[in-house]
Amino acid sequence: MAADLNWAIGGEAGDGIDSTGKIFAQALSRAGRHVFTSKDFASRIRGGYTAYKIRTSVDEVQSVVDRLDILVALTQRTIDENLDELHDGSAIIYDGERSWDAEIPEEMRGIDVPLKSLAEDAGGAIMRNIVALGAACEITGFDVEYLDESLEKRFGGKGTQIVENNKEAARLGQEYVQDNYDVDDLGYDMETTDEDYVLLNGNEAIGMGAIAAGCRFYAGYPITPATSIMEYLTGRLEEYGGHVVQAEDELSAINMTLGAARAGARSMTATSGAGIDLMTETFGLVATSETPMVICDVMRSGPSTGMPTKQEQGDLNMALYGGHGEIPRFVVAPTSITECFWKTVEAFNLAEKYNTPVFLVSDLAMSVTEQTFPPEAFDMDAVEIDRGKLVDDEEVQEWLDSQGRFRAHAATEDGVSPRSIPGTTDGAHMSTGLEHDELGRRTEETEVRVQQVDKRNRKVETAKNEEEWDYREFGNEDAENLVISWGSNEGALVEALEYLEDEDVDVRVISVPYIFPRPDLEDEIEAAEETIVVECNATGQFADVIEHDALTRVKRINKYTGVRFKADELAEEITTKLTEEVPAQ
Amino acid sequence: MSSDVRFTDFKSDKQPTWCPGCGDFGTMNGMMKALAETGNDPDNTFVVAGIGCSGKIGTYMHSYALHGVHGRALPVGQGVKMSRPDIEVMVAGGDGDGYSIGAGHFVHAVRRNVDMTYVVMDNRIYGLTKGQASPTSRSDFETSTTPEGPKQPPVNPLALALASGASFIAQSFASDALRHQEIVQKAIEHDGFGFVNVFSPCVTFNDVDTYDYFRDSLVDLQEEEDHDPNDYEAAKEVILDSEKEYQGVMYQAENSVPYNEQHGVTEDMSEIPDGAPEDAMDLVREFY
Repeated sequence: MAADLNWAIGGEAGDGIDSTGKIFAQALSRAGRHVFTSKDFASRIRGGYTAYKIRTSVDEVQSVVDRLDILVALTQRTIDENLDELHDGSAIIYDGERSWDAEIPEEMRGIDVPLKSLAEDAGGAIMRNIVALGAACEITGFDVEYLDESLEKRFGGKGTQIVENNKEAARLGQEYVQDNYDVDDLGYDMETTDEDYVLLNGNEAIGMGAIAAGCRFYAGYPITPATSIMEYLTGRLEEYGGHVVQAEDELSAINMTLGAARAGARSMTATSGAGIDLMTETFGLVATSETPMVICDVMRSGPSTGMPTKQEQGDLNMALYGGHGEIPRFVVAPTSITECFWKTVEAFNLAEKYNTPVFLVSDLAMSVTEQTFPPEAFDMDAVEIDRGKLVDDEEVQEWLDSQGRFRAHAATEDGVSPRSIPGTTDGAHMSTGLEHDELGRRTEETEVRVQQVDKRNRKVETAKNEEEWDYREFGNEDAENLVISWGSNEGALVEALEYLEDEDVDVRVISVPYIFPRPDLEDEIEAAEETIVVECNATGQFADVIEHDALTRVKRINKYTGVRFKADELAEEITTKLTEEVPAQ
Repeated sequence: MSSDVRFTDFKSDKQPTWCPGCGDFGTMNGMMKALAETGNDPDNTFVVAGIGCSGKIGTYMHSYALHGVHGRALPVGQGVKMSRPDIEVMVAGGDGDGYSIGAGHFVHAVRRNVDMTYVVMDNRIYGLTKGQASPTSRSDFETSTTPEGPKQPPVNPLALALASGASFIAQSFASDALRHQEIVQKAIEHDGFGFVNVFSPCVTFNDVDTYDYFRDSLVDLQEEEDHDPNDYEAAKEVILDSEKEYQGVMYQAENSVPYNEQHGVTEDMSEIPDGAPEDAMDLVREFY
């Protein structure tokens, strides 16, 4: 693997950290380099430490590592927060003219650039971050011209003067370092390629997947980190004849979504944290009324308000078991940003093929992380849409009872009933959260109750047999050590394999995107000498499920600091864990 | 379906289990007649019902229908109408459903002004749970959970609607069949959110707000010749009148623009292509 470079800009929330980072990330992407970004941020609009980090290489990068090579520090705290990641020879760009006295650790290289003054020379102090980007270009040997296109993209709407000022600011930063520092010994040479990459995060991929899948209705209530799905869809969904509505709360959001779904629109809602708690009220109704819809949970650190801007995979049990009574459902958890797109498409198909709620479970880390991909990774021609047993005016006739009434909950062999939507002649019917007969009318007759419960569960059995519930695999298939993961840890694990290989630790990685139904891993666990389940929560919710499935004990790596796994850290943890005793049976 | 739809087409073959004499019979009949009278048929009508005695209405009517979670009927109805402007949407629920557990949704549904009809069967009591105070119960109304009365003023649903920016506010009485039907019909025909609070007496658990009480006390705005429903100030006066209760259309905004029109949401969203939209790769290229 080619050398990677780890760059970050940090300061106070409100300092424009995010947009500056994004400009640099886009420039790198346009230069044909792979990029993987991550963010440290707090739940406030101004104040508090925040940082945007970029890992870049000409090879694919899909994880953060515990190493920071170049840091633009707008505050002392930015340096302090990152001391663990900074190393001998790391370069720290700071503005010595500012009131704080930067304490640059001795073994590191302080690059004092008068960011504010140079920005003022270019037209305004507000551009000081762009000056810093220019300085970073010089240090890394990255042609400052690559910034131009992303500056145009970012500031184009504000007029050519602003764009030109920003370009000038970048050049002043670059020239200042060139004139005042010798950075050749740092040895950075930012190679570029002719590749064209797109740069997007998991929530954007989910939103784009929804449009590709024919989603036409989205209702949601703003909540971090799910809001950006709604923001992505707003305006775009309308272009495709759909609509986004901001509901008064999550109770309303999920019920609006349900209404639109029953009216025949492909519909989705997304939320997080306490929002999914509120929505739980309606899970049972979605399932018993057999309404096809996608419920997306972008997990964040809980319980309660927890750490709203921090990573966690704590809602697995909620997705699997949330709601009173027994609720048939599917739970799908994309393992990468491209998979956020494809699993969203799949979720809509599963929902309509089986008239069942589908939980699409992502997480904060994936929602804010941007990664580069070749555009073909989102090949729209490969998107297939299956609307299941949606009946038209003619087909509806096959499903009428002797009195001409539509059997909306017909107890079919495969458990899947036909679905008629308003406007379909003779398809009118009742749906309810009450137990009901085939016509959708309430009943408490034991036989009918059992028939309907069995029917709904039979759909899931049918799906288990008809669909592929496979896992993704990395590393050596015959390795004696097996590491199982779900959701967004995949990238870090794949990169951890390289570190493990260097240590001669042989590992097979199984990354599971389907939580229910899920692949049966009994044989794989049986074949391995050691099994470790990796997840971002404290109790090991997926490990519990795996142990239950395979009737065995596994080792666990749990992280619940609020920060995602890093590749090098994970490699180390796996190595340590392998030497530990297996927990008692 | 043919245009000669009769109101009985909106009737299902399920016999209501409401207590004999329940106001909900009259309320439902008026709704069915109003739907038929306004040219709708069961296959293009979506009825959303709340939870409680009133919530059973979806079962006794024939149309596309959903009987959902307590208090959430309005969001469901809005979702239907926003995605299917071609469908007639009617939401029906009780005073508990609309003004207690669903009060938040009521305020915002009113604000959005989605072109649909909301009929609240207001009996000022929780009937299905056998007689507890509702948000519209009188402050001295003794029930099993409020032995000395709720000791708090009842919600004035009409005032709540007015304060939320309603474009159509009406009140009717289940037993005044013709007027009730006529008022619901006006709500259906209104371009926007047509809200009708229907006095629908509970003969089993409410011995205060009875048929006799409403028959004797209710003032029909039609007979108050000077009431102009387009006159906001006049509407405010009758809605906030603490001495008398009225039936009729209290308020109808002349300049009502329904949600779908406001937001340019005019398409039938149930129809989608077999694959991704033709120009979908443009979405990917946005990320260059």
